[in-house]
Amino acid sequence: MLTFILRRLAAGVLTVLTISVLGFFLLYLGARDTARRIVGDTAAPEIVARKQQELGLDRPIVVQFFDWAGSALRGDLGRSWFSGQPVTEALASRLPVTLSLTIGAILLTAVVGTVLGVLAATRRGWVDSSVQVGSFVGAAIPGFLVALVLVLVFAIGLQWVPATGYIRFTTSITGWLSTIILPIIALSIGAIASIAQQVRGSMLDALRLDYVRTLRARGIPNRRLIYDHVLRNSAGPALSVLGIQFIVMFGGAVVVEQVFSLPGLGQTAVSATIQGDIPLVMGLIVVTALIVLLINLAVDLIQGWLNPKVRLS
Amino acid sequence: MTHRTKLALTVAAGGLATALALTACSSPSATEEEAETTLRLGVVTQLSSFAPWEASWANESPYLQAVYDTLLRTEPDGTVIEGLATAWEWDDARTVLTLTLRDDVEFADGTALTAQVAADNLVRFRDGTSQNAPFLAGMTSAEAPDDTTLVITLAEPDPALPVYLSQNAGLIGSPAMFDSPDAQTTPIGSGPYVLDTDKTVVGSTYVYEANDEYWDSESVHYDNIVMTFYGDPTALMNAVKGGQIDATNLQSPTQIAEAEAAGFTAQTYEQNWTGFLLADRDGTINPAMGDVRVRQAFNYALDREGLLQALDGGLGTVTTQVFGLSSSAYDDALDDRYPYDPERARELLAEAGYADGFTLVMPSNNFVPESVFAIYKEQLDAVGITVEWEPTGDDLFGRLLGGSWAAFSFLLQTDPTSWQTIQFSMLPESAWNTSHVADPTVIELAQIVRSGEEADADAAARELNAYVVEQAWYAPVYRPYSAFITAEGTEATIQSDNAVPYLWNIRPTE
Repeated sequence: MLTFILRRLAAGVLTVLTISVLGFFLLYLGARDTARRIVGDTAAPEIVARKQQELGLDRPIVVQFFDWAGSALRGDLGRSWFSGQPVTEALASRLPVTLSLTIGAILLTAVVGTVLGVLAATRRGWVDSSVQVGSFVGAAIPGFLVALVLVLVFAIGLQWVPATGYIRFTTSITGWLSTIILPIIALSIGAIASIAQQVRGSMLDALRLDYVRTLRARGIPNRRLIYDHVLRNSAGPALSVLGIQFIVMFGGAVVVEQVFSLPGLGQTAVSATIQGDIPLVMGLIVVTALIVLLINLAVDLIQGWLNPKVRLS
Repeated sequence: MTHRTKLALTVAAGGLATALALTACSSPSATEEEAETTLRLGVVTQLSSFAPWEASWANESPYLQAVYDTLLRTEPDGTVIEGLATAWEWDDARTVLTLTLRDDVEFADGTALTAQVAADNLVRFRDGTSQNAPFLAGMTSAEAPDDTTLVITLAEPDPALPVYLSQNAGLIGSPAMFDSPDAQTTPIGSGPYVLDTDKTVVGSTYVYEANDEYWDSESVHYDNIVMTFYGDPTALMNAVKGGQIDATNLQSPTQIAEAEAAGFTAQTYEQNWTGFLLADRDGTINPAMGDVRVRQAFNYALDREGLLQALDGGLGTVTTQVFGLSSSAYDDALDDRYPYDPERARELLAEAGYADGFTLVMPSNNFVPESVFAIYKEQLDAVGITVEWEPTGDDLFGRLLGGSWAAFSFLLQTDPTSWQTIQFSMLPESAWNTSHVADPTVIELAQIVRSGEEADADAAARELNAYVVEQAWYAPVYRPYSAFITAEGTEATIQSDNAVPYLWNIRPTE
């Protein structure tokens, strides 16, 4: 197990390094007028030149890369060209917001999606039909549309929760919940649909297998049969999809954070990209790659726990 | 359905209902904060920097005014008044401005304000990377003969200097910021509020607490200010309709109706103009554009009322001049010097020898929708000016200010003083006189505006305005509305020379 983990970590680090190099050169080579975007559209050419020199943009790109990489390896991702804030500080202040959103969404997705999938597979009939129709609709509706409708109904219409903004967990737990619940629901809808369908399909396949008939013949209670045996054996594919959904949610968080004006990584990604704030974008790339690496590792470990055959292979 | 399943579902439903109920009870509560007043201000532009020598202004001014003072201030009508300076005086040549500073001001770190600190700030601004650094480009020195006397020496007269000193050029920060690596994010000013860095999320939400030691306590109307950046128009309007904002600029005048429906009061004002700069007045790039009749034809070809309606829903005022409403050069008669007249346009083109028309290459860009360029092209093509839009991608400004095109479409601000507009785009060395045309009449009149007595300067400004309109240096289309909205319980006075009301003019309704 330790060897497995180390091997995966090593591969992941190599992946992060490759992505960082590619990302850096793509960003720098594609960047135009970065200094002007920072100082202002109507700035005089000499001011733009001054800013370029201050940021070191007049140096060869290879020099800039090694300068960045050397600092990054020491844990210094530089400073935002636009705000001057250290990139690590900027990311650290915003990561909890996005993690609140995505972890909350993935937990909601896992619970609700699994329950719906199990109900559909075991109840069949109108329950199964309803779950399938609901999944189709949930997958088809764009996340931002769900977000806008939720805001309109619950925040502006009923005024149950704020329409925008974020209250930190450490400031007020109920305040935090009030600002995160609608974004979590908006982010989860599509994923719930996907997981429900995946669980339904896997369980239907598993329920047809001989061991299930054998366990029933032995008098195992249906509830225990479903949850201790069938669901556990069906969970593998659903878990893989859940892992992918978690990563997709990081992308989906961009839209949700914009709609709800949440100060998370997604909002930062949009503004940093528009501004051409390359140090901040590079920081986002590195952090996102590391998160994806950890998620994939976690999924693999859980798969191994669920299914011993995976460990042996 | 089994009993256990029913129980599970009931518990889940109850939990969700409880969570929603708790969140409704827990909204940032007036009960908890009723002893303190808080202004919740929406801002439509991110703050670029708290460092005074990098500071921007306009939409960023609230962030900065909260923590800094400026050497001078302006009334809503643009009249210059005291700030950190209680008196100021020009010498006879109008190249030396002497200011007397207050002696009772301290920065948030306890450092006293002195004239030397102010002088150092001015030099840093002049040599810094603010887009307005050219405001002080003509400053040869800033000296402090004593702690309360600041002497600014210019190479040539600049009548707009007092206005500049009321804006970002006049921001005064503590000397502790000069070499601080955190200057961009951690301001140390003498202003009415202090930034709460613990509660602030850079780029998103800025929280300020009132400075109890502030020298002008009458201008402090709130115990706290929370400024939230809204980059997305939908998020902004959701915050407005959700009652989370007390005051904000709108990103577009088309949002006014929605804001008023939500119970807000909207005030509109005009501080920009949109249209064309007909830069190639010498005909160097396109010989046709060197003929005033061709440039006048360009103006006659534009259906300004139609364009205003189509592009901005009629929310603005058509114009053919680029000077601001509050400037001495403004003449409302010049707002319709060129009524829509395609026939007259064709006549002028024929007189100039272009009866068959000519081709004009202008830049398109990603800032403006393709449909806008299509509308302009249609109207100009109709009189014989065949427009070819050249896509520019990200390299627009470099090429634009480098004089790549004979004419181009843009949105620019109207300045509070005539001299600012002249300096910005009419002098041979002006950055936005992209072909660097040197017109003797413009130069002569500009010199009077710069150095003359007030009455002479005002007359020269009006004459210069009439001249550039007659010479069709520009083809402005309209001045779009900007809007500032306030919720019930909050009032604001529009600032004639700024995109946002000054912070001390936003207050609770009495």
